[in-house]
Amino acid sequence: MSDILTVVFRTFMSHTGLKTDLAADPPPPAATTRSALVVGDHSVSRSVLLLAAVTAASHLGLRVMFFTRTQIQSLPASLQKCVPSLSPESLKVQVTPLPNCGTVEELLHQIASLHESTNTSPTPPSLIIVDRLEGFLRGHSELHPGEQSCAAHLSALLCDTAAFLTQVLEKRPSSSGPCRVIASFRSQEDAGQAGGEASATDPVLDILDRYFQVRCTLDQDRGYEAAAAGLQQVWNIYLSGRGIADASDTKDCEDRPAEAQEWQLLIYPDGLMEFKVV
Amino acid sequence: MRSRLPAVAEQLFRDIQKTYEDTSQIPDDLLIALKFVFGPCALQALDLVDQRSVTCLSSSSGRKAFQVIGGSGHLYTCFVSCHYCPCPAFAYTVLRRNEGLLCKHILAVYLCQAIGVTQQESVSDQQMSTLLSGTVAP
Repeated sequence: MSDILTVVFRTFMSHTGLKTDLAADPPPPAATTRSALVVGDHSVSRSVLLLAAVTAASHLGLRVMFFTRTQIQSLPASLQKCVPSLSPESLKVQVTPLPNCGTVEELLHQIASLHESTNTSPTPPSLIIVDRLEGFLRGHSELHPGEQSCAAHLSALLCDTAAFLTQVLEKRPSSSGPCRVIASFRSQEDAGQAGGEASATDPVLDILDRYFQVRCTLDQDRGYEAAAAGLQQVWNIYLSGRGIADASDTKDCEDRPAEAQEWQLLIYPDGLMEFKVV
Repeated sequence: MRSRLPAVAEQLFRDIQKTYEDTSQIPDDLLIALKFVFGPCALQALDLVDQRSVTCLSSSSGRKAFQVIGGSGHLYTCFVSCHYCPCPAFAYTVLRRNEGLLCKHILAVYLCQAIGVTQQESVSDQQMSTLLSGTVAP
């Protein structure tokens, strides 16, 4: 599922400048991986999720469902620059706010019910996004009994739902499949280190890695170069996981270059975000 | 199930399927292989197969899920495309300790599918949603 994320990174690449015509890029290649987990600081990962949602809806014409516990009050500056009139209300994205009291049970029920609309809705969603899984899994407390099992249930349900919707989409004449899943997660270690590298020792992250094919790790670069360049923040982005290995294997067979696995995200003082291949 | 299993396990299920089609039984060498690959839960899974404990549920949307009646009579809902079971053994042995590939319920699903003894049942879309979410109906 790194395909949508890669489209986002390429759309907002720094060497070409910001593209104002989101329809100018070719569509992504057929997806071989369908689930990605964005791990790291939640405000940056939320911006990446919003970029992915709007890019998929506007640029690729996909139906997107965005599940979040918090209202979307503002959009990343990069999106506002591309489409000045864009507001959270005018997104071509079906945002399902599950307010602060939103529980994991509520999210499970919402995801589990998505198949019901396939009988009536003309287009099932092709991209399901869940903002801040840890908020659903941990609720208001740090520890939740059966947290790992709950993380597995939610991840498995997301993947199984995406697999089912992919079958439905592929039967439609104007297929917009496969259905993909992107979720964000901030590990306890990451939260403790305020943006440090996510540790693989978080037991919940270990579980999520079983189900999500690609992990997109956001790691803040706190070196002097970022400050010297007048940037507000620099984030290193690493794509890893079996989905990346599978994609590389396929591309090797087809004698095509492997997908970039490392990117850099530059955030300017005015909030603009640009991506750069490393 | 279309989830990723080690090649040896996938080959084992293919062998069981082919042999069962020809002879209507699973020979000892494949049973030993099953025990070798999956450990003690293999025998428990075979018990569940004998009792025809696995049902494939379908709803009108086309969504499917497996339901397994455990030894204690509990019902466990397992997904079609990836490995998850709400039983304690899956949470402890597979997820927490990473010591097993599957629990006996998911293994029973694979075996029932291989030898064609999965029961079939229809449920409403709403019932399916409730079963998949593992929550009570709102």
